[in-house]
Amino acid sequence: MSDLSFTENLTSSDITIEGTVGKVVAEDAKMSMRNVNVFYADKQAIKNVSLDLARNQVTALIGPSGCGKSTFLRCLNRMNDTIPICRVEGELLLEEQDIYAKNLDPVLLRARVGMVFQKPNPFPKSIYDNVAYGPKIHGLATNKAELDEIVISSLQKAGLFNEVKDRLDSPGTGLSGGQQQRLCIARTIAVSPEVILMDEPASALDPIATAVIEELIDELKEKYTIAIVTHSMQQAARVSQTTAYFHMGQLVEMGKTEQIFTNPVHTLTENYITGRFG
Amino acid sequence: MTSSTLIFVILFLALFSYWYGMHRSIKVAGGVTKVKQLVSLPRQFGLLTALWCGIPALIVLLLWTVFEATVIESLLVAKLPQNIQEMTPSQLGLYLNDIKIMAQQNLGEVTETSEQIKHFAALEFQQLNLNAAWLKSAIIFLVCLSCVMFIVSRFRLDYRARAATEKITLKVLMACSGIAVLTTLGIVLSVLFESINFFSEVSPVEFLFGTEWSPQTALRADQVASSGAFGAVPLFVGTLLITFIAMLMAVPIGLMTAIYLSQYASQRLRTVAKPMLEILAGIPTVVYGFFAALTVAPFVRDVGESLGLNVASESALAAGIVMGVMIIPFVSSLSDDAINAVPKTLKEGSLGMGATMSETIRHVLLPAALPGIVGAILLAVSRAIGETMIVVMAAGMAANLTVNPLESVTTVTVQIVTLLTGDQEFDSAKTLAAFALGLMLFVTTLALNVVALKVVRKYREQYD
Repeated sequence: MSDLSFTENLTSSDITIEGTVGKVVAEDAKMSMRNVNVFYADKQAIKNVSLDLARNQVTALIGPSGCGKSTFLRCLNRMNDTIPICRVEGELLLEEQDIYAKNLDPVLLRARVGMVFQKPNPFPKSIYDNVAYGPKIHGLATNKAELDEIVISSLQKAGLFNEVKDRLDSPGTGLSGGQQQRLCIARTIAVSPEVILMDEPASALDPIATAVIEELIDELKEKYTIAIVTHSMQQAARVSQTTAYFHMGQLVEMGKTEQIFTNPVHTLTENYITGRFG
Repeated sequence: MTSSTLIFVILFLALFSYWYGMHRSIKVAGGVTKVKQLVSLPRQFGLLTALWCGIPALIVLLLWTVFEATVIESLLVAKLPQNIQEMTPSQLGLYLNDIKIMAQQNLGEVTETSEQIKHFAALEFQQLNLNAAWLKSAIIFLVCLSCVMFIVSRFRLDYRARAATEKITLKVLMACSGIAVLTTLGIVLSVLFESINFFSEVSPVEFLFGTEWSPQTALRADQVASSGAFGAVPLFVGTLLITFIAMLMAVPIGLMTAIYLSQYASQRLRTVAKPMLEILAGIPTVVYGFFAALTVAPFVRDVGESLGLNVASESALAAGIVMGVMIIPFVSSLSDDAINAVPKTLKEGSLGMGATMSETIRHVLLPAALPGIVGAILLAVSRAIGETMIVVMAAGMAANLTVNPLESVTTVTVQIVTLLTGDQEFDSAKTLAAFALGLMLFVTTLALNVVALKVVRKYREQYD
């Protein structure tokens, strides 16, 4: 590691990326992306990426900083629409339906494909209102009792209900970091999405809170399809079934998690997971 | 030499002593090649010498100018005959004024005996002034010279000229900030004391709760009418009415402008529209004033008449509308900042759950930015209450106690203007009333600003 030219070799263009190594197609795909290119103005952030998210599985997207994994994740529920200079090309399907189709409302898409962010971002409202926010705007509950039911079951699914049941009226920002992140997960599942995208959900949390979140992700995959971006390879190994390794905007290798972490095919993947760079 | 010439002389001397100090320090070091042996740089020695030359001399000059007139007068009085020295202060003042006027004119021969004393005094006065001018110049030169000699005599290899310079700079900075603080304090105290004078003539209860405002007092005992009534309630009501109309105009428009510019507008539009709005804030209020008086007020009256309403040609509504327009940039610019200060993650969190842009703004962004927006509105209110030119020109002078926006009302600031324009007796209740109104205005806007700043600060702590 002390020899800088050595690390430079590992990341330099000496090692070519020719298409993706491994299996990108899933038998039972919930979402399926083909030849996706993303541009920020003139700069290409994602180059020709194709991959499937398998139904009721956790797919981990790993790679060094700036490799495009978060950009790719944000394409899946059209969060990149909020950035005016961002342009997405390619075929992105949710249950065989093109999510970039002209007649598709991104607002409805985001109700089906929810997102949990890197930094816990509870709204400046009470715990109850944080969770009830989504169901209210989507009209999922016709009366107070139904809304209560949704809020409580979402908090239960997120493993937070027992900790906050006595103070549902206190502000969500008053919770600890880990609790806030679980509140955000509860908020996301309250609108019953089909897919949950998680952008480094545990990077701002301490190890214990991280362990709780990881356990929760494992439980959630019974009901939801999950894609998670993470910087921690141990986390990817613990929670995911499939792992995709991104490098410089390209998908280098994808496959079963145990295979990627024990027997990577591509040299770049091997260098990354053995911790030689990144 | 006059004081203004002396200032230039002092500056020139300081420049010279800069050069002198530099050379002295090089000499102390033992030549240009050995300058490195000095703890400070030669130019720092030079600057120190210049400061020692200039600052004490300027202080002496300032003190001299302040006390010169009083000292010369007392010297003059001491030379006058006994019977004149025993006059009352006001008579003596008039007498001395005569002498001063005489001294400025050409002093010819005087024959009248009563004038002879004055003539003598005027000559004496001229002589005193001349002597004072010479003495002043001499003292200033002496101060400059001795200060420079003193500091130069202390130059050694290890003399820390830079530290000494910075100490002086620090004191100068402190003195400057002291001037700002003392001026504020002085204004507040003078307003306060004059108000106390006013309240010894008019009871505070009448002032605060009386409903009749008619500040014309009789100048002579035999004058008709004009006993004066100092009930400020109509003024407060007028001020609040106009402020209310202005806020009714400015808050919705300003807030929606802020929402549009911060959330929906394209980058290109924003770069054009924001400076345009700030130009609106830069228009002098007197321009708004005649716009209100000549365009908006007649327009409001015409519209009112066509609807069958009786509108005064100087209505609270017209003044309020124009004031509202003036305040829009305040509200929009500060609210824009408040909305932009809400973390982007909150907005994304809401959008990511399938909320539309307007739902996100209503349920997430505005509640989170609310303290900042409230602060913006309170600052705008205090601005509206203190606004003068627009209401002077557009709202009228009649102190009607009414909440009907179509009638003419008057405000606290307008009355202060009318009370103090023209020839005034400084000790009449009419003039003093302006100070009492000023005090009320000051207290109100101060309270509003304090509350606004508190709210804004609390908001900042939440996200930083």
